[in-house]
Amino acid sequence: MAKDMTLLWGSGSPPCWRVQIALEEKNLQGYNQKLLSFEKGEHKSKEVLEINPRGQFPAFKHKNTIVNESCAICFYLENQFKSQGNQLIPEGAAEVGLMYQRIFEGQILGQKIADVVRYTKKVPEAERHDSAVKRNREALKQEIQTWDGYLKGSDGYLSGKSFSLADVIVYPVVAFFFRLGANESHYPNLAAYYNKLKVRPSIKKTWPQYWLEAPGQEQLKDL
Amino acid sequence: MAKDMTLLWGSGSPPCWRVQIALEEKNLQGYNQKLLSFEKGEHKSKEVLEINPRGQLPAFKHGKIILNESYAACLYLENQFKSQGTQLIPEGAAEVGLMYQLIFEAQPLAQKIGEVLYYNWKVPEGERHDSAVQRNKEALKEEMKIWEGHLQGCGDFLVGKSFSLADVIIFPVFAYFIRNGGSEERYPNVAAYYKKLRDRPSIKKTWPPTWIDGPGMGTLKDI
Repeated sequence: MAKDMTLLWGSGSPPCWRVQIALEEKNLQGYNQKLLSFEKGEHKSKEVLEINPRGQFPAFKHKNTIVNESCAICFYLENQFKSQGNQLIPEGAAEVGLMYQRIFEGQILGQKIADVVRYTKKVPEAERHDSAVKRNREALKQEIQTWDGYLKGSDGYLSGKSFSLADVIVYPVVAFFFRLGANESHYPNLAAYYNKLKVRPSIKKTWPQYWLEAPGQEQLKDL
Repeated sequence: MAKDMTLLWGSGSPPCWRVQIALEEKNLQGYNQKLLSFEKGEHKSKEVLEINPRGQLPAFKHGKIILNESYAACLYLENQFKSQGTQLIPEGAAEVGLMYQLIFEAQPLAQKIGEVLYYNWKVPEGERHDSAVQRNKEALKEEMKIWEGHLQGCGDFLVGKSFSLADVIIFPVFAYFIRNGGSEERYPNVAAYYKKLRDRPSIKKTWPPTWIDGPGMGTLKDI
């Protein structure tokens, strides 16, 4: 089962990380995996392109089934391995609904973080504007304040009382946000969620190694 | 069940349309619904903000459960009403994997269409560049080629032999592309898929009312 799985991944990438968390949660340790380097351009290597023609991580294969979108992999794993490991889709309509809602809102959050921190990678120099930079920061600030609100008075997890696919998918984005220098005191409820889940076994085990070795960036420290 | 559901929607919006298709497929006719106008700014009205503080459509409620992200609503409906209507998640690991892969791969597709079509809405005048417009068009063209490839040798449906969440979610995006001038000659596989499914009852019944009156704008004709 896990032996029939292969994951090509890069360190510090929230999409890769969420797949690793899902594999741990579903007791699928022992999968084949290879850590590759974004910096060295290995995401565009032949090895990756053979699984993911888009040249992106994660690239994932289970026997002959290829799934490369990280959320797709997480849903696939829960669907196929429902009865083993932790149940990642809760019981109860309200929890299920909230789980799905937060998963897809999580993508908006991820996008707004990327709009800020990847601005100079995505926008050619001649097209950059301070007004755009400012607007992207404001949009991220509003978004993250919304998430801080979601976690106010929360039962501890994004969908209610139990750890779910919403946490698998969104936690890495939240951790990335703090890794980029965001101030925990500005977003106390989100910080509490971040710190509480840091020690969950599946998360602790798969924490990006590079983040343990080197200090974080500071792009979001004034947000 | 359906009587406890409310959908606020706008005509011609793929996210709204996919929720309507899902409701039909799951035999949930009879839900409360209200057609609102984007042009009149009704997506920012109090009525919408009460369900969706983001001021976006669709805004969907089932009892007290709120699902404003269209993917979330579709996945929720299949999860909660699995045993009625059409089964929207197939059997078989390969089909399930492909379904989830395509669903999430469709997000960059919809994003790239938006970046071309909504450029002038999203980008303030002082920040617009012909180079960006050009780049967005090229990116969409590359993305459409990928999908044209995905549909090569495809049967009547995106995944295997049966209609699935992949069709619910993605058909509206292709229909939107063609409605906005996308070329059926340049993308014959996409066009063939579109023609095969447009008479499916759930799709025909929920066809955007504003599309029946006449042809759309040709903004995407050069893609």
